[in-house]
Amino acid sequence: MWQTKPVKPRSYRIVGPQQQVDERTTPHPRVERGELGDRLLNWRKTRAGQDPFRRIFGVGGGDPNNCLQLIMKKAPEGAVNPTPAPIPEPTEMARRIKEVARFFGADVVGICHLDQAYVYSHRAKANPAAGEKVGDPVHVPHRYAVCLGFSSDYYRFLSNNSRISDAEYGLGNQRMIPTTFMLASYIREMGYPAQSHDYSKGFVNPIPLAVNAGLGELGRHGMLIHEEYGSRIHLSVVTTDLPLAVDEPIDIGVEEVCKYCMKCARTCPSKSIPFGGKEVVKGVEKYRINVDSCYKYRLAGRDKWTNCVICVSSCCYNKPTAWWHTLAIKSIVWTPIPLRVLVVKPLLWIDDLFWGKRPWKHMKWLGYDNAPEPAICTTPGCQVKHTNLQHKPLHDPKQAAKASLSRASVSP
Amino acid sequence: MAYVIAEPCIGVKDKACVEVCPMDCIHGTDADAMLYIDPEECIDCDACVPVCPVEAIFSEAQVPEKWQHFVRVNSDYFKGKR
Repeated sequence: MWQTKPVKPRSYRIVGPQQQVDERTTPHPRVERGELGDRLLNWRKTRAGQDPFRRIFGVGGGDPNNCLQLIMKKAPEGAVNPTPAPIPEPTEMARRIKEVARFFGADVVGICHLDQAYVYSHRAKANPAAGEKVGDPVHVPHRYAVCLGFSSDYYRFLSNNSRISDAEYGLGNQRMIPTTFMLASYIREMGYPAQSHDYSKGFVNPIPLAVNAGLGELGRHGMLIHEEYGSRIHLSVVTTDLPLAVDEPIDIGVEEVCKYCMKCARTCPSKSIPFGGKEVVKGVEKYRINVDSCYKYRLAGRDKWTNCVICVSSCCYNKPTAWWHTLAIKSIVWTPIPLRVLVVKPLLWIDDLFWGKRPWKHMKWLGYDNAPEPAICTTPGCQVKHTNLQHKPLHDPKQAAKASLSRASVSP
Repeated sequence: MAYVIAEPCIGVKDKACVEVCPMDCIHGTDADAMLYIDPEECIDCDACVPVCPVEAIFSEAQVPEKWQHFVRVNSDYFKGKR
C-alpha cells in the first residue's frame, strides 16, 4: 500500500531522548514554594486586589465559589458509558469530533497522537476531592489528543500591560474550561475513555501537541503561532482512546519569520526571549526562553496587571482577521523555502511601518484606561529619571550579542 | 540573586541602564558617586548589561573578585529606604 512520509514540524526538532516534565518544576508551583523569592510568593497570594475580573478569574483573593476555574478543579470526571455507540471510521469520526468541539465553543481544533513526552511525570497540585496528592505520578494512557484553541480579542490584547488585556487573558483561560469538559464528557458518553486538560486541571503540555496537531507552529517566544490568530490563542486538550484520524503538522512560515523578525525579543521588557539561535532543551531543539525573568516581570505590574502579553501583541502574526493578513501569510507559504527570505524581509519592513516596532494601543473600556502613567519611584531621594515602558528603548540584538561575547571572555 | 553595579560606574553614571530597566530598580541621587541596583526588585533580566558603556554591571555570581564588595555596597544603599 502506498504511504506518504510522516510530516515533521519545522519549528522544533527532536535531536535526543526526550524527558517528561515534572509539573512541580513548572513556574507556578515553583513560585508557590517560594523558589523565585518571597516577593513573588507574596504577590501570588495577594495579587487579585479588588478588581472583580481578577477575583473571578481565579488569581487569588476572591471567593473560590465565584471562580469557574476553582469550581471545575474539584469537578470529578464522569464515568464512561458501558454501552459504546457504533462509530464511523476514524476520518469521519475525527471530522465529527472537530465539529462537536466547534459547536461547544472552540475556535480551532486539531488531532494528534498523544506523545507521552508531553504528559507530566508527577502532579504539582493536590486535589483532595479526588484523593490526589502533590507528587503523585501522572498516568494518561490515551492514544489521541484533541487540541482545542480559543482565540482572544486582538484589540484588548494590544492594550497590553493593562487591566483590559488582563481581563481578556483571564477570560481566555476560563472560556476553555466548559468546552473542554463538555467534549471529554461527550466522548465518555459515546463509550470511550476521555480526560479534559484545561486551565482548571490538566496533565499535558498543550503547545507541542497543538503543533503536532497542525494548529500552528512554535514561535521564538515559546508559544504556538496560529495562522489567523497569531499567539493570542489559549490551548486545551482532550485525551482519548476514541479512534480518530490524526492531523499533520503544518508549515505557515514561522521558521523563516522568527529567524528574521525578533520583534518579540526586541519588545520583551524582561529580555526573556533570545535573539540568538535555537538550543537543545531536554532533547528538543528550539528557542530557549528565560522563564524566570519572564515570570518575575509580573512584579512590574505593581498591582495593575498580572499578565504581560507584550510578546503575543508584538508578534507579526498577531493581526485582526483580514484578507491582507491571509494574503501575507499565504505569500510566505506559497514561496519555496530557500526563497522565503525574499518575501519575509519586505513583509517585516511593512509590518514595522504600519503596525509599529512596539505594537500597542491606548484603550478605554468599562472605566479602565491604559494610558501610560509616569513612572513613580518609591526610593526616597532617588533622582534618576525613570521612564514609562512605552518610552523605554527597545532591546538591540547587536548590543545583546556584544554583551554575550564580553561575558564569555571574562568567565572562567 | 540580582545584578550588581561595580566600580566602573563611579563618576560615569551614564544612566542608560535606568532607561532600559523594566522594573525601575536602578536608583541614585545627584550626590551619589554611582548608581545602585535594588537586589529585592531586580529580576535578573540582563537588560542593563549590554547598554552599560563602561561594563560596570554584573550578575551577582559573576562579579570580578576585586569588586566583590560592591554586592554589599548595592544592597546596603537601600537599607532603611524601603
